[in-house]
Amino acid sequence: MAVNLNNSNVATRENRIGSITGYVGTLKDLATQSECGTLKGCSRCFSQSSTCLSSCALGQLCGIRDVALIHHGPAGCSVAGAGAYYMAKVMSKKRGVTSDTIYVGTDMNENDTIFGSTNTLRNVILEVNKRYSPKAIFVSSSCATGIIGEDIDSIVDEVRDEVGVPIVAVHCEGFKSRIWATGFDISDHAVLQSIVKPPREGVKTNKINFKNFFESARPEIIEMFKNFDLDPVFLYCNSTVEELSHLSESLATTCICGTLGNYLGNTLEEKYGVPYVRSINQCGIEGFETWLREIGKVTGRSEKIEKYIEEQRAIYIPQIEEVKKELKGLTAVLGMGPGYTFEVSRVLNELGIKVVWALAWHYDKKYENGDVPPSMKYLLDNDIDFEASVADQQNYEVMNILHKYQPDMYLSRHPGSTVWAIKNGTPAIYVADEYMIFGYKHTLEFAKTIVDAIKNRSFEENLAKRSKLPYTDWWYKQDVDTFLEETK
Amino acid sequence: MSQIMENPKGGCVLAGINSVLGAIDKVCPIYHSGPGCCMQTTAADQGQSGHKSSCFVSSVSLPSSNMLEKEVVFGGLNKLRTTIQGAVDIIDADAYFVLTGCTAGIIGDDIVSVTTEFQEKGVPVYPIETPGFAGDSNLGYETVWNTFIDQVIEKDVPKDDKLVNIFGIVPYHDPFWSGALEEIDRILSRLGLKVNTFFTKGQGIETIRKCSGAALNIIINPWLFKGPSEKFEEKFGVPSIRIPGLFVGATDTTKFVRSVAEALKLDPKLVESVIESEEHYVYNYLAQSIGVLSWKRFAVVADANNAVGFTRYLANDYSFTPVLVIVSEPIFRPEDKERIIKQIEDLEYARPPKVLFLTDQFEINKAIREEEEEITLLIGSSNEREIAIEKDIQFILGAFPMSERLIFNRTYAGYRGSLTFTEDIYDNN
Repeated sequence: MAVNLNNSNVATRENRIGSITGYVGTLKDLATQSECGTLKGCSRCFSQSSTCLSSCALGQLCGIRDVALIHHGPAGCSVAGAGAYYMAKVMSKKRGVTSDTIYVGTDMNENDTIFGSTNTLRNVILEVNKRYSPKAIFVSSSCATGIIGEDIDSIVDEVRDEVGVPIVAVHCEGFKSRIWATGFDISDHAVLQSIVKPPREGVKTNKINFKNFFESARPEIIEMFKNFDLDPVFLYCNSTVEELSHLSESLATTCICGTLGNYLGNTLEEKYGVPYVRSINQCGIEGFETWLREIGKVTGRSEKIEKYIEEQRAIYIPQIEEVKKELKGLTAVLGMGPGYTFEVSRVLNELGIKVVWALAWHYDKKYENGDVPPSMKYLLDNDIDFEASVADQQNYEVMNILHKYQPDMYLSRHPGSTVWAIKNGTPAIYVADEYMIFGYKHTLEFAKTIVDAIKNRSFEENLAKRSKLPYTDWWYKQDVDTFLEETK
Repeated sequence: MSQIMENPKGGCVLAGINSVLGAIDKVCPIYHSGPGCCMQTTAADQGQSGHKSSCFVSSVSLPSSNMLEKEVVFGGLNKLRTTIQGAVDIIDADAYFVLTGCTAGIIGDDIVSVTTEFQEKGVPVYPIETPGFAGDSNLGYETVWNTFIDQVIEKDVPKDDKLVNIFGIVPYHDPFWSGALEEIDRILSRLGLKVNTFFTKGQGIETIRKCSGAALNIIINPWLFKGPSEKFEEKFGVPSIRIPGLFVGATDTTKFVRSVAEALKLDPKLVESVIESEEHYVYNYLAQSIGVLSWKRFAVVADANNAVGFTRYLANDYSFTPVLVIVSEPIFRPEDKERIIKQIEDLEYARPPKVLFLTDQFEINKAIREEEEEITLLIGSSNEREIAIEKDIQFILGAFPMSERLIFNRTYAGYRGSLTFTEDIYDNN
């Protein structure tokens, strides 16, 4: 990958790394085809809601403390961001820090779509700067501003000197990509372009960049890394602009989710030589150990890490083995982003649960460095196979699968998706917290959560008996790929 | 545009349209829009409305053409056609409505040509050609009713002099909508009326088709629904009365009952007996808890409907002192603002509060922060909690957006709702 930080536009995941959103088959076929380069994604002639990449991009950016986000578009586009902003406030409160980050919309109306509104945008930027004195300003576009061709870049360039803080255009036209995770790349690009500076000379550090969503396991991870003399810098939730400016000085970059972290990790490696930890992620036993060992290798701390692994195994492995007895033979369907789906599949396999179908909301054939995603490679190497599909959270496909397979559980990282499974009578586990399966301790807790969820199915069964789903009987009899078609 | 909007309260037109359609049983919205619009609009209204979302289809289950660059450049009608066909095949709905996103609106896709093809085959698919940027959630409510009046509601339905239609309470955009409609339904049913709330009791598209048979349209809102009500009367001959604010408590609810009774010339004996028993019900409870709530000087930040209701109840029925009322939804017509101000200022008992119209959170916070008179109670949305904490005043989460409460059928409206409201003021102490 060659990153161009002089241009505010980021190529979409489709164009950059061949990501797809339409596929039905098996895991092995998906992986083999992506390895030999023959995989071609399908599109759908019928689809349900996808998600806007702006939610991912701006949701990430508004976690940064004391910055301003200006969403140049109709008021409706700014609302989901406002929710993310609210979340960020809660998160700063939880950690006991303050954030004066502000999220404003420009309330674009019909006139603006005809006559344009770049002049007013300039005034809004200056007024926001005066009102809130932010430490950085992100100016985002939307579908509407994108189509009428508002030149946000020029406005940003014009006011740069006057505002006197880092300011950057963030290109968030929702129609740009069917993969909302492109939004994560957009936010990384904006941070890299406007805030991250080259390493200062002579600065020595034991910091490791840790890209995550909400730093919910912050104290625990800080404690763990102390064993290895490493100091994690959590991104971007509660980050300061000052912290971000020094990301290039860290010993390495790692992330909780490959989809979330790969653009930042790869770019820091490519531009500044900060090694990016590429391994399966921290979910489950095998994942946790592999990840730790990789960090040990990259930062020269293997000995300390082996010692830690040995201590922790002694505490947790017997307990996990005990819970596994209750899980043996259960079946699961899961639907998550690709940064989790193939990782969680591995964990379920470790716990003795049979994955009957795994849906990934999109699939990256290659990562930025050209390799097949590590989680896929692991499953292939270990001869684990199951039916798999790629669908941008297409609910009708999920319901068709759940209806046919009647699994013991459905796991998803998206609450809207679990709702429909529960209405179907399927116990659903909302893997909401990114650290829910992190390491030995949380793998044990996760296993116990599954036991709880499947043992008492009163709500699911009673609800399903009394509520009717919107889907026709016809649809349940069709194949999952009925509406897929070759991309033209 | 022209303005800075910190934390807009609600979404675009599509959010409003989606909220209204989502509250009607077995009606399926189909988005002709970018891939993010379903989630954004669901998040905007349903997602901030006390954690309740549409039962039939919502967020991830909404059909959407997910327009991408290809459709922006070449037009999206083919994608729309297959999306509608798919929706008809897999979603077992009684009616389908095609919504227009900003993208489809700007590139000028002729959605009517496609919906007509389906209508000719007898499929109930209706176009709504109002793109997202045309306005806010409230406009979405009016847009849906204009669509119903133009395309769905039947003419020459036999008149029923006991049937009334309720308008003005926007599903999800008012988190208490279903409870409020249920209370209104309960009261009017006691008067021997049949009530179309449209969004409760499993009412569906058939109720809407036949609602022109009503004897009266009752608009419960100080400003919304002006255009549609005029069009409704013109096309179907159903007159309207406007109740200029949601009624909370015995005084205003009784006034509402009398207005309806007068418009429909209901039997005065029945009406008075209902009023008497309802008022007795409320005051019997209030009388059992005298002195439990301490006296307050209050401020309200809410949509016009609820701002009127909360202020008038607390000032007129419960002896609290109103200090500041901020109407936090965009209102454009001066006549509407005047009507709202009149409702808030025209208090029998208390001195009128200061009334402001502000939509930008920065301005709202500033007004509360800089208010010189003491405030000891603030009723507002989740967005106002922060300023309440800052000023250390008691806070009641009673308005949209509402992120930290679970609301099923709770309401502050009507006779019984006022008791719930009073309970909540105590519980939050």
